[in-house]
This record gives sequence, C-alpha cells and structure tokens, in this order.
Amino acid sequence: METKMLLPNRYKTIGWCLALPSFIIIMLYLYFDFAFPFLDYSSGKTDNLFRGETLFNLNNTNFTDEIFGILLITGLLMVAFSREKMEDERTMQLRLESLLWAVLINSILVMLAIILIYGSVFLQVMVYNMCTTLIIFIARFNYVMYREKKRLNKEREL
Amino acid sequence: MKNTLRVQRAILNITQAELAEKVSVSRQTINAIESNKYVPSTVLALKIAAVCHKKVEEIFILEEGD
Repeated sequence: METKMLLPNRYKTIGWCLALPSFIIIMLYLYFDFAFPFLDYSSGKTDNLFRGETLFNLNNTNFTDEIFGILLITGLLMVAFSREKMEDERTMQLRLESLLWAVLINSILVMLAIILIYGSVFLQVMVYNMCTTLIIFIARFNYVMYREKKRLNKEREL
Repeated sequence: MKNTLRVQRAILNITQAELAEKVSVSRQTINAIESNKYVPSTVLALKIAAVCHKKVEEIFILEEGD
C-alpha cells in the first residue's frame, strides 16, 4: 500500500541538516543575543514609541530569528514526515499513533505551563511550543521504531 | 483476532523475513502479526493468504469480543 503525504526517505537526512544548525542558531539567538549582521534591516525611519511595529510595517529588525525559525520548522517537518527505509502499513499505524501521543503530551504540558508558569517566562514557553509537538513526535516515533527492532532481535536470539 | 500464521509459515518452511519479502512489508510487521500485536489490513491479509495458498479465514480467525 502506498502512503501518500510523505516525502521520500532521503529528505530525513536533509531535514536533520536543516534542523540541527537552525536549532543551535535559534538557541544562541534566544540566550546570547546572537544575530547575523547581514540580516539587519532598517527603513531609515526611527521607531515610533507609541505606535509600535505592525505587520509589513517594520522599521528596524534583524531577520535571524525569522529565517532560522522557519528553517527549523521546515527541517523538523522533513524529519517527521519522510518515509522510513522500509515503509509499510504498520509503519504508518505507528506513525499516526505517535502523532496522537505527541499532540496529547504537548497539550498536557501546555496546560501545566498555563497553571504553573506566569509572566515573561510563559511567553518563552509559547515560543518553544511552536516546535515541541514535532520534537515530541519525532522522539516518540523513533523510540517506537527502535523498540520494534530490538524486540525482533531479542526474539531471534531465543 | 487470532491467527495461524506461524503454523502456515512452518508448513511452507519459510522464515519471517522471506514471507515479509513476498508480501513486501517489513520483518517487524510479520513478527507483530504473529505475536498478535498488529491486525493487518485486508490487502495484506489477502496477500499473505495468497502466498500460503489458503483462504483468509483459515489464517485469520475472529475471536469472541471482536
């Protein structure tokens, strides 16, 4: 059975190559104010303190977080939704189960964060939340696949 | 649902890997079916039955509660 909506297997490697460097850059951006100077943008006007910046009307910004945020999510999507080397109907079932599991766990974590975390730290939680569902899914799915392989090897030894 | 896949495989004298290759799924899937961890799709069940030269009902049997 052919499963649609999935990328070929090689996109998994491409995804990791995009996601890992982007993740490091985003972390540096968040915690060490790292930014690429060539991604600076200025319209020449000064920021209006009272109006603030609105969509498509920025005066001064640096696009490091925008670009690497998008690359990070693109990379994670590629890792998450590309075919396995040996893809069959059971792989698809395990994938969908893992996705359900990831959405559930992520929602529980967000609910806990709503109860336990306040102020600007909560905003940070929301920033992480942009890609935690995908990260939890990738971790869970790979763990399930690993467990399957291990079970098979163990049975072989018996 | 229970199945007699292990028996059928013994009759044909083929390994899980060989059966997996014949019906183009992974070895893990055949193993999961045999240990009642996975219920195959109708397509896969028909393919397996064709390889074993048996009817689907002879390999996959409904249990009470299904």
